[in-house]
Amino acid sequence: MKILVTIKRVEDYESKIKVKPDGTWIVTDGVNYRANPFDEIAVEEALRLRDANMPSEVIAVSVGSELSVNEIRSALAMGADKGILVKQAGWVDSDAVARCLQKVIEREKPDLVLMGKQAVDVDDNVTGQLLAEYLGWGQATFASKHESLESAEEKAKKPGVKLAADKASVEVIREIDGGLETLSVKLPAIVTVDLRLNVPRYASLPNIMKAKKKPVEELDPKALGVDVTPKVKVLKVEPPPARAAGIKVPDVAALVQKLHSDAKVI
Amino acid sequence: MANPLFDDRTVDFVLHDLLDASSLCRLPHFAEHGRETFDLYLTSCRKLAREQLFPAYRPMDTDTPRLEGGQVRVHPAMRELWSRMVELGIINASTPMELGGQQLPALLSVMGNAYLMAGNLSAAGYAGLTTGAAHLIEEFGDERLKRDYMARMYAGDWAGTMALTEPQAGSSLADVRTRATPTAEGHYLISGNKVFISGGDQDITENVVHLALARIDGAPAGTKGVSLFCVPKRRLINGTLIDNDCASAGVFHKLGWRGLPSIALNFGERGDCHGYLVGEAGRGLAHMFVMMNGARLMVGATATATASAAFHESLDYARTRPQGRPLAVRDPLTPQVPIIEHADVRRMLLRQKAIIEGSLALCAQAAKWADEAAHETDPEAKKRAQLLLDLITPATKTFPAEKGFESCALALQIFGGYGYTSEYPAESYLRDQKLNTLHEGTTGIQGMDLLGRKVMGDGGAGLQILSAEIAQAIEAARAAGDAQAPLSSLATQLEQAVADLGATTMELAQRGISGDRLGMMRHSTDYLEMFSLIAISWLWLRMATRATQSIAATPARGPFLRGKLKTAQYWFATDLPRTASIGALIRSGEESFDSARGEELE
Repeated sequence: MKILVTIKRVEDYESKIKVKPDGTWIVTDGVNYRANPFDEIAVEEALRLRDANMPSEVIAVSVGSELSVNEIRSALAMGADKGILVKQAGWVDSDAVARCLQKVIEREKPDLVLMGKQAVDVDDNVTGQLLAEYLGWGQATFASKHESLESAEEKAKKPGVKLAADKASVEVIREIDGGLETLSVKLPAIVTVDLRLNVPRYASLPNIMKAKKKPVEELDPKALGVDVTPKVKVLKVEPPPARAAGIKVPDVAALVQKLHSDAKVI
Repeated sequence: MANPLFDDRTVDFVLHDLLDASSLCRLPHFAEHGRETFDLYLTSCRKLAREQLFPAYRPMDTDTPRLEGGQVRVHPAMRELWSRMVELGIINASTPMELGGQQLPALLSVMGNAYLMAGNLSAAGYAGLTTGAAHLIEEFGDERLKRDYMARMYAGDWAGTMALTEPQAGSSLADVRTRATPTAEGHYLISGNKVFISGGDQDITENVVHLALARIDGAPAGTKGVSLFCVPKRRLINGTLIDNDCASAGVFHKLGWRGLPSIALNFGERGDCHGYLVGEAGRGLAHMFVMMNGARLMVGATATATASAAFHESLDYARTRPQGRPLAVRDPLTPQVPIIEHADVRRMLLRQKAIIEGSLALCAQAAKWADEAAHETDPEAKKRAQLLLDLITPATKTFPAEKGFESCALALQIFGGYGYTSEYPAESYLRDQKLNTLHEGTTGIQGMDLLGRKVMGDGGAGLQILSAEIAQAIEAARAAGDAQAPLSSLATQLEQAVADLGATTMELAQRGISGDRLGMMRHSTDYLEMFSLIAISWLWLRMATRATQSIAATPARGPFLRGKLKTAQYWFATDLPRTASIGALIRSGEESFDSARGEELE
């Protein structure tokens, strides 16, 4: 089984993010970067699926500047087999990313593509869906599982996305508003993953050393025939409004009154 | 806010701005490594420490190990934590590749361990002890011991301990009494009692391997009669594990490190405890001391880690606890301000920062010298690094431990009355910290080691090299300083203190030469303090210099780098000046405490 997994370089959510005074973007100076946490869950799931269905291969792909090779290396250090960087400096919108991935996938012909459901930088939550459309493949978004993250299955690193016996489809349990639903998706397919699917492993030192010798191929969007000119225009970036101070009410009656007339929640 | 345990930027600053960690990769032994492997390894250690070890810290402090039916049971969370640490590869991180390790520089392994220790020192302790014990077999054991025991310890299947102390032989290891009786089959029969054996029994791994000191029957009294043995809890005979007559006699109740059992062990109650000689007979203490620099460096790193975890708790509390109003505000109806708004609270925070970051830099510098001493290809550079490492080790062990205790007390102080309760973790860090001035050689022993062995023992060669290093840092500071950064006045201050240390050392040497050895050694603990204050000031001057050089190039790091300058300034204003009075005290030979006897001490 050949599994392709995407990994994006994003701002570390623990860094203090400030908006540029002119409102064009955020201040990137002094900000730490890391792999998108949702993508790390996708990598973990890919590794579990691979190990449960040998022989298999996991390819980690990133679209971004040359610095994104760091995130590919971190996926290789977790255990992925090889990496591909579609090198493009500057901001690339989700649509361009999806079209780059489409070309890589047409070349690599994986059976399954695993992706984070969204990246924690801009939280678009569209790349997986766009990619499925461009490829004409089936998709299952927000993959999750019934077992808790403290369960024995999780500790035993059992995959939550399950390959059918005939290897022609995967069973995906996905988060929906009212709970969980189970889908069967024909391969090849796109599966995007949610937070409760697994706990990603830490890169072990032996795997960090092995990762150094794993190949990372660099591709140019132009050579792939993809025009990455953004279709999305950023008009303005602004910080979320500061939270207003709370108020004290004298008694329950006043509280109910406020909830009813001001907050309009009851 | 979750405790970050260490400030990552500071750790990276020490590793890369101050010490240029990647430069170690020029050595063939570290050629497989680079910034990339260092960063990935530290990232994994940080995650493990924050996400797994730290959440188990308080439960392990509260629910302590107990002895049940001859078996010590530890906190159930430990099994999972042990597997995670083993999986990450921390036990054999720095072990040679041909033995399954990854030849990671000690510098990185110490920094990674610092995070684990800050997260949960008891959990990390099991791993550190195992590495130390396996390393002894690696250095001195025969092929069978390496195959049967060391390999399984490095793989994390079994754990290890250091079984040195006996009720009558603590600091004075030459007085161990445990007996080793030779047998025709080649093994020895061990009998005797050991105390304070950390990790001496547990139910995490199926076997525990003790590296024990014992005296072969008929061996001479004193140091030369002590040998090193491998004494497993279960011995491996033809592939089967057999009980080896190591009885757990009790678990000590202790002040801190409560997740790691300290036990009394009885070897050979039934006369069936097999021990295997490690290295040469009669060289047990010498073999043990080969590991001592490493063990003492780890104590320094642990002390730094404990102080850092406490500091971050106090910083978070200071930012969120409203109490009182600014001095200028008299109106009781205005809201209270977070206590970090009070100057004295900021003083307590900055003082902790000065101690912790100074200690961190000291441990890192010592670890880098350890890497160079072991793996430099140029014999001169190798020898130089070894001299510097030997010289700095007593300070690396003691300064973080002694000042770390003060630092933990300041963290607790910031919590006010709440700090005295177990509702908040400040009290547990203070308890944990105390061990570090005691184990692996007390502060008193370190003072004697520094003055008697490391400074006087080699005729001052090590101290001369260190003084040259300091002179270089002083030059660099003068070159980098400008109107905004008062580096040159700091440089001058340090120059004076080093001259003072030199003069003090000369005077003590004179005393020694004239036959007054007691007079030379009387103030060895004070000498260690003076030396340590200068070493820390040297590191702060270098950090301030690097910060000044970097501000222009990386303006976004401005507040972070200015913080380094402020802390250096604080340290030079408050602590470096103390070397003058300590120096005067040492030179005066003040002997009130030494001559006080009997009732005068009551």
